[in-house]
Amino acid sequence: MTETLPTFVERNTAQLPQLLDKILAAARPGAVFSEPVRSGDYTVITASEVTAGGGFGSGFGSGPAPAGRATGTGESGSASATQPSEAGGGGFGGGGGSHGRPVAVIVIGPDGVRVRPVVDVTKIGLAAVTTWLAMIAIFRRRMRRRRAARTA
Amino acid sequence: MLRLTTTAGQPTTVGDVTVTPEARAFVVRLPFAGFVWNWPTAVHVQRAGEVQHLRIVDVSRVAQLGLLAATLLLVLLGRGVDARRKEKRDD
Repeated sequence: MTETLPTFVERNTAQLPQLLDKILAAARPGAVFSEPVRSGDYTVITASEVTAGGGFGSGFGSGPAPAGRATGTGESGSASATQPSEAGGGGFGGGGGSHGRPVAVIVIGPDGVRVRPVVDVTKIGLAAVTTWLAMIAIFRRRMRRRRAARTA
Repeated sequence: MLRLTTTAGQPTTVGDVTVTPEARAFVVRLPFAGFVWNWPTAVHVQRAGEVQHLRIVDVSRVAQLGLLAATLLLVLLGRGVDARRKEKRDD
C-alpha cells in the first residue's frame, strides 16, 4: 500500500498542533521547578530557566514529466502509456531544541525558607572576556585615530 | 500568538511551612512554529497565616546585562569625549 505525497504531507501537517503542544509544554511551572528533594531536615527545590522552540515546514510541487519519459496519451498502446504525464516531489521537515539552566535553589530548613542563587561562572566569565576584548578593540582604534590626527 | 503568563507551581508543605513557587512564561505560537521562555520569579512562603514573598533573582543574567550596560556606557562616554576634543580642535 503506497501513500501519495499530498496525503503524506496532509497527514503529518495534521499532527503539527500536537507536536507544538509538546514543545510548548515547557511553559508549565513543572518544567521550571524540580520535585522537592528531602535530605534530613532540609528540603530543596531547584528553580531553572527553560527555553524551548521548534518549527516545521513542508512543501511539494508538480510539473510536466521530463521529455521522453511521459507520453500519457496511450496512443501507441505500449507500456509508456501507463506512465504519468506529470511528475512531482516534496518534503516535510522540522527541528527544535530546548535549554535549561538552574537559576536558584529554594532551601526549606529549620531556619526558614531561603532562596540561594546559582551563579553560572562560565556564562559570566565568557561575558566578561567578550566585554574586555571589545573594550581593548575600541581603545586601540581610538588610539590609532588620535595618532593619525596628530600626524596630519 | 504572543502570550506572557504567570503561573503558580505545585505547593510544597514541610512542617508548618507551605512553599508555592511562581514562574512567568513568554510563549510565541505560530501555525508552524513555537517558542517558550519560562523562568522562575518568586516563592510564596506561607507560615502561620502569614505570607512572605521571596523574589528569585537570576544573578548570572543580571551580571551579564550589567557587563553589557557597562560596555555600552563606556563606548558612549568615549564617543562623547572624542566629539568634545574634535570640537575644541576645530575651534
